[in-house]
Parts: sequence; C-alpha cells; structure tokens
Amino acid sequence: MIEIRELYKSFGNKQVLRNVNAVINAGEIFTIIGPSGQGKSTLLRIINLLDEPTAGQILFDGVDIHRDKSRRMEFQRMMAMVFQKPVVFDTTVRDDIATGLRYRGFDRRIITKRVDEAIAVIGMEGFGERKARTLSGGEMQRVALARAMVTEPAILLLDEPTANLDPVATGAIEELIQRYNRESGTTIIMSTHDMIQGQRLAHRIGFLMDGTFSQTGTPRDVFLTPKNKDLARFIGVGNIFEGFIHATEKGIVSIDSGSTVIYAVSDLPAGKRVSGCIRRGDITLHLSHAERMSARNVLRGTITSILPVGSVSEISVDCGINLTARLTWKAVEDLDLHTGDVVWLSFKASAVHVMEDAAVSI
Amino acid sequence: MNRTVRLILVSFMLICCAVCITGCTDQQAQEPVAMSSSEPKQELHIATTTSLYDTGLLDHLKTGFEEQYGAEVKIISAGTGKALEYGEAGDVDVMMVHDRVREDLFIENGFGVNRRVVAYNFFVIVGPESDPASITGLSPEDAFTAIMEQGQTDPGVKFVSRGDESGTHAKEKAIWKSAGYTYDEVKASGDWYIEAGSGMGATLTLANEKEAYTISDIGTFLAYQGDIDSVILVEEGDILLNIYSAMQINPAKYPDVNSTLAKEWINYLITDEVQDEIENFRVAEFGRPLFFPSRGAWETIGVTQGECETPVS
Amino acid sequence: MTGFLTALDPILDGIIQAFYLIATLDPEVLKITALSLFITFSATILGSIFALPVGTVIAFREFTGKKLLINLIQTFYAFPTVVIGLIVFLFIRRTGPFGFLGFLFTPWGMIIGQTLLVLPIIAGLTISALLAVDRTITDTILSLGATRLQFMISVVKEARFAIFAAIAMAFGRAVSEVGAAIIIGGNIDATSFWGSTRTLTTAITLETGKGNIGLSIALGLILLFIALAVNTLIAQVQQR
Repeated sequence: MIEIRELYKSFGNKQVLRNVNAVINAGEIFTIIGPSGQGKSTLLRIINLLDEPTAGQILFDGVDIHRDKSRRMEFQRMMAMVFQKPVVFDTTVRDDIATGLRYRGFDRRIITKRVDEAIAVIGMEGFGERKARTLSGGEMQRVALARAMVTEPAILLLDEPTANLDPVATGAIEELIQRYNRESGTTIIMSTHDMIQGQRLAHRIGFLMDGTFSQTGTPRDVFLTPKNKDLARFIGVGNIFEGFIHATEKGIVSIDSGSTVIYAVSDLPAGKRVSGCIRRGDITLHLSHAERMSARNVLRGTITSILPVGSVSEISVDCGINLTARLTWKAVEDLDLHTGDVVWLSFKASAVHVMEDAAVSI
Repeated sequence: MNRTVRLILVSFMLICCAVCITGCTDQQAQEPVAMSSSEPKQELHIATTTSLYDTGLLDHLKTGFEEQYGAEVKIISAGTGKALEYGEAGDVDVMMVHDRVREDLFIENGFGVNRRVVAYNFFVIVGPESDPASITGLSPEDAFTAIMEQGQTDPGVKFVSRGDESGTHAKEKAIWKSAGYTYDEVKASGDWYIEAGSGMGATLTLANEKEAYTISDIGTFLAYQGDIDSVILVEEGDILLNIYSAMQINPAKYPDVNSTLAKEWINYLITDEVQDEIENFRVAEFGRPLFFPSRGAWETIGVTQGECETPVS
Repeated sequence: MTGFLTALDPILDGIIQAFYLIATLDPEVLKITALSLFITFSATILGSIFALPVGTVIAFREFTGKKLLINLIQTFYAFPTVVIGLIVFLFIRRTGPFGFLGFLFTPWGMIIGQTLLVLPIIAGLTISALLAVDRTITDTILSLGATRLQFMISVVKEARFAIFAAIAMAFGRAVSEVGAAIIIGGNIDATSFWGSTRTLTTAITLETGKGNIGLSIALGLILLFIALAVNTLIAQVQQR
C-alpha cells in the first residue's frame, strides 16, 4: 500500500503540489487525471525518488521512502517508471530492455530469458538487435515499458505514456498495461490528461487540479458525481450552470440561476451557492409542450446551434441558461430541427447533479 | 550510416598503421648501422645558424660524421641569437654561429670553450636590379649611407632588416655603426627601414616583394636566387667578412653535455677532407662557392692559425 | 597574363613534385608523417587517459565553483600553442626542473606539449558532452535503479559518440599545431626515427626556408588529408 501524506512541492516561488493526500492500494491501477501543468509528473517523480518533496511523505507500507536514505536503493528498485517522452538508450532493443536487470546484477542467462519474454509480450519479436533509436515513437514506448516491466517492480509508474503517440500505438500500450496489471498484480500509478483513457484503465482515479487531489474515487463515482464545477467542466459533463438554492422541500431543491429555476435532488440547505450539471444524454427534446411530461424540469428555448459530434449531434438550446441535448443524426432529420426553432427540453430532478461551490453562501 | 562510419574508421586506422609500419621498417633498415658499433648510439646536439643549415651544408657533413663515429647528430636550426641562448642553458652540445663579438662574450662568460673557425664567406648587399639608391660599386658603409639618406626622401628606396638578433642582423648593425650611425637612429629614421623579424629566406623574399635592399649571407642568397629577382649590388669590403665558428658548450658548466663527441665534431670539421667538402659544396650548382674553408686562410679571417687548424683536445 | 602563368610554374612544379613524393612513398615524407601521427596519437591517448576521468568527475559532481572551473577549462581551448611550447621548453631544458629527463628536442617532449594542449579540449568537450545528455535519459537511468557508478558508466555510454568527437577534435588540433612542436622539438631530422622531431607542421614551416617547396607541399597535402579525415569522422559521428 502506498500512502501520500500532506505532500507539498515548490519550485522556487511556484507551488506545484499542495497538500496532496491519497491512498493507493496494492494491485490496483490508479490514474492521476488532470490538465497539463497541474503537477502530475512532479507527483510521479517524487514517488519515483527523482525529486524531493518540499514537505510531506510518501509511505510504502508505512515507511517514508524519502526519509530512510539507507534503504533508498531498495525502494528505487521496487519501482519502475515510464516517462511521457519515449526514451531509449543508444543501443540495441535487447540491450536497452536489459538495462535495469544489469544494474541489479542478474545472471546473464536470466537476463536473456526475461528480455526474450518481454520482447514477446510487447510484440516486438525480431526487433531485438535493432538500434532502439531507429524505432517509431510507439515502438520506443513499448521498449520503455518492457524495460520497466522486466525488473518485475512492485510499483509501475507511468507518466502520460501515450501522450505523444497515435491512436493505434496508444491502444497497444493500453492493452499492455491492462494485461500486465491483470497477470502480475503489479500496482500501477499512471498519469494522463485523457479522461477517457483514465476511465478506461483505472480501478480508481485521482483528479489532480491546482496541485491537489480534488476528488478520488472509482471512475463511476467521479464521472457521475464530480465534486465541483471545475472538475465537471474538465471531465466534460456539460450543461453546467450556477445559482443558489432558493428553496428546499423533501430533498428536492429549487435552484435559482438568475433567469431560470431548476429543480434538483440535493441535501444542501437553502441559501447555498451551487453549481449544477446535467449530462447531455439525460435531456429529452420535444417539439411541443406535451401534457404528459413527467419530468420535473421543463424548459422552453430556442435552438442556437446544431453540431455534429462523432455519430451524434449536439443541439444547443437557449432556455435562459444554455443547455445542450444529444440526438442521433437521424432524429435531427426526422424532427426537422433547425437553428432558431422553438423547442422544449425536459429532464428529471435526479438527473441534475448539484455541487457546492467553494465560494461562501450569499 | 553505421557502415560508413566503420569504413572510415577502419581505413583511417589502416592508413595510420601502414604509415607507422613503414616508419618502423624504415628505422629497422637503418638499425644495422647503429648495431654495428657495440656501444649504444651517442647523440650530438648542434644548435646552428640558419645559413649553415638552410644551404644543406650541415646535413651534407653530418652523414660522414655519423658513419665514422657511430653517432647520431641532431641539428637544431635556430639563428645565432637563439643558438647562443640554447648554449647558455646547456640545451645543446655544440654551437655553430657567425657573430664574433657575441661569441667572445659567450666564451668570456665561461659558457663556451674550444672555438674553431670552420669556414667563411662574405655577406652581400642585394637589392632590385634598378638600384634606385645607386649603390652598385660603393663600399658597404657608403651603400648603407646612400640607402638611408635616399630612403628618407624617396619612397622607392627601402631596406629590409632581419631584425631577429641573428648573426646577419649583428653584421648589419656593425655596418651602420661603421658608417657613423647609431642603430637606434637608423631604426627611428622612417618607414624606409623595415624589420622582418624572421629568417634569411623569409627576409630575402620580403625584400624581393618590396623591391627593397637587404643584407644576406651569400649561401642563402644563392639558394634563393632562382626564386627572386634581387641581385647582388655590393660584395666587397672587409666588413662583409662572415666567419663561421664551431664551439662546444663548457662541460665544466654543464657536465651533462656530450663533450667527447663535441670535440670530435669540431675536429672533424677542420680535417682536410671536410674542409675540401666545404670548399666544393654546391659549386657545380651555383658556379661559385658558398663557403670558403678556413684552412690556410687564418690571415684573411684575422684570427690565429691555431684557431683555424689546431685540433681541440 | 603570360607573366601570371609563368609565375604559376614553380607552384605547379612544387605540386607535381609533391605528388611524386607521395606516390613513390618517399621515405622522408613517410618518416615525417609517421612521426607526426605517432606523437599526436600518443598525446591524444595520454590526454584522454587523464582528461576523460577528470571531465567525467567534474560533469557529475556538484561543487562550488564548478561553473567557473568549466569556464576556465573552456578558455584553455584557445591557449596559444607557442605559450604551451615555451612553458614545456622552460621546464624540460637542462637547467629546468625536469631537465634530468633529457626530453628537450625529443618526441617525448613533444608528446608532453601536445598532451597539455589536448587535455583541456578533451576534458571540456567531455564535460559538455555529458552535460548535454538529455535529462529524460539521466532520469530513466536513475529510475532504473542505477548505483552512482552505474549511472556514470551509462551516461558516458550515451555520450560516447560526442566524447569520441571530442577526442578526434583534439587530435585534429594537435596534429596541425606548429608553435609548441618547433620550440620543444626543434625540427630535427636525425637518421634514426626516434631521434627525429620533424613533424608535418614543423617541416612545412622550416623546410620552406630551405627551398624544399615540393616536400612542403607534399606534407601540406598529407596534413590536409588527415584534417579532412578527422573532420569527416567527426561529422559522421555527429550525424548519428
């Protein structure tokens, strides 16, 4: 078990990490998600003993790895790290992968065996004698991953390992990471700025925003119930609005967003300043105001834009607040929707996720 | 790419090896000569004035000596000033120079012993064929006076000095003195006086390029004659006498010098055979001698007979 | 025009004679070339033996005045070779502190001079080469659990081509250097190989004074070829 306790890191006057706390369980894939430049790499580097924290501790099974200098090499060799930029040495693929094993003084036969296995795992049979520097970025990153994996680390640290790669190479690396975790049970801490990737691979996620974990939890927890509007905006939940709780009745709150009132499920008391978000798929679009609408929220508005996104279209509607609904292309055609049309949007009170704002209540 | 690097590397090394091996075999080919004498090969270091070396005379003479004595002669061609400096520090065993005044001082100060005059010739004043200062046929002193006087008014008249404290430079200074000028006066008198600060060959080339006058030893001038347009304008006058001596570094001062071989070298130079060789050296090529032997010429040179002909002991 | 062409004749003669000397493997030319290469190779190897570890230690150690020291070493790249020659000359002449070695006017003395010449170049460029190794590489090495020594070896291995280029550069400078070679060696043309101190550069400088234009041109061509070979090598290595 790895515990990060009240970790701070400053470079000169710039505070990169402030009060980072987390517990990472043995055997899980923990992804650190956050925008670029928020301290993800720094956190991984501190765990990997490449940087010293300004304050705070990293504990491996209760031992502060930065404090106990005599066991430093032991801790170092418990870990392996793959960096964002694919790094290979100026040598052959086989020799490159063997580097960590050579440092550890393994017998040559064992090195050969493990390297052969690793080359097979990364699917690069026949590349052993190639100069590592002549490989493509994706191949180099696979070599870097193999070089880390052959040392059989207890903890594998991956710093945005696919950030510089194309989708095919990314897929290959992701597949490798998942398979490796499943088969070896190695704890993996991986950073990424790609939420979808974080969500896809992780057992648990930590959101690193402004140098601290603003939320940690399972992907489902984090994506369904982001803790604040910055997080919601970052994970792209959409339909974010701000307001204050106007009234509360039996767990249903009415939020005054200035021009519109929205009903939502929340325990928060009246008077709180809050943000809300409604996932696009939870909003239904109607051409007319039907009586049978069971949803608590029904808003009238004008279509401001229709944008194709992937296989669907996003319909933006100005209802006092801007809301976006998702429809298939076919539905857009069938309903004969155009910019400027008046439509009705409906969604349930339970579809609205209410987040308390950091600012004080009015 | 990799293959190219390797190819270049290998070929480079091969060339180096080849050259080294050739160098070594070259040496081995000469080894038997050295091996024939039972003693380890002795070395004789000679610091010499450039004129004796650049004409090829010393290289010509050393071969015979090396064969006869099973020794190795190493010649450092340096100019009289530098040669004297080497001598004072005991860096060499023998000096061959041509500046009587400084030689006397050198011996007086206890650095040198056993000086023998081995050859002589004459300095020549050379210049452009047009001879703008009209010095042809004048005495050396009058020629210098004419060059200086006209040099100060006529920009077409120039003089190039060695300016390197060599024997030739010393001779030039002596002529200025004899003509009634101090050297500082000459140096300060205008742009017509150019100091080359280099060897005789370079000075002759410079004088030729600038169509200027200069003073040269006859040997170097003859060696350069084909490459330059300058001609001899003045070659008569007692002051133009150029006396080459050999002397050994005082072993009492520097016990490490090779005194035995130094003496043998000096005595070798005044043997009849070598004196004949000096007399005939490159005569066929130039149609006139570069050096005159000192044997039998002690009166012309103005030294004792012993200093020319008595072997040192 | 005819005058110009006529004036070219001696130069052409010299060049023809030079090619003849090279083509016929003239023993004099070979001897001078071999001695030059021997002296410079020895100095470069000797210099590398000292400068590589020193450069490595300076590059990897953190200490006060490190930047200053590196600056100082780099300043010595441009140290005038004649001054090196003069210093060595004063130390190894008979009256000098190392006069007892008898190194003046010998190849050994010249090797000492050229070694001093290449030391700062090899050390300085080695430091630059090691410091130029990307941080991602050094991080990767540390991350893989290298000990201090393993770290140094691995970084040196990464920088090996740049270090090789540094050595080649030093070789190029030493082989074309003339000032120190003349002062220390004296351009002696002894009968034996090891007694001579005549290198390509000193021979060119002083043989011209003897009117040996053909020999000078031949030696100049060989020197050019060596410089070219060294530069090609450096370029090839740096392109990697």
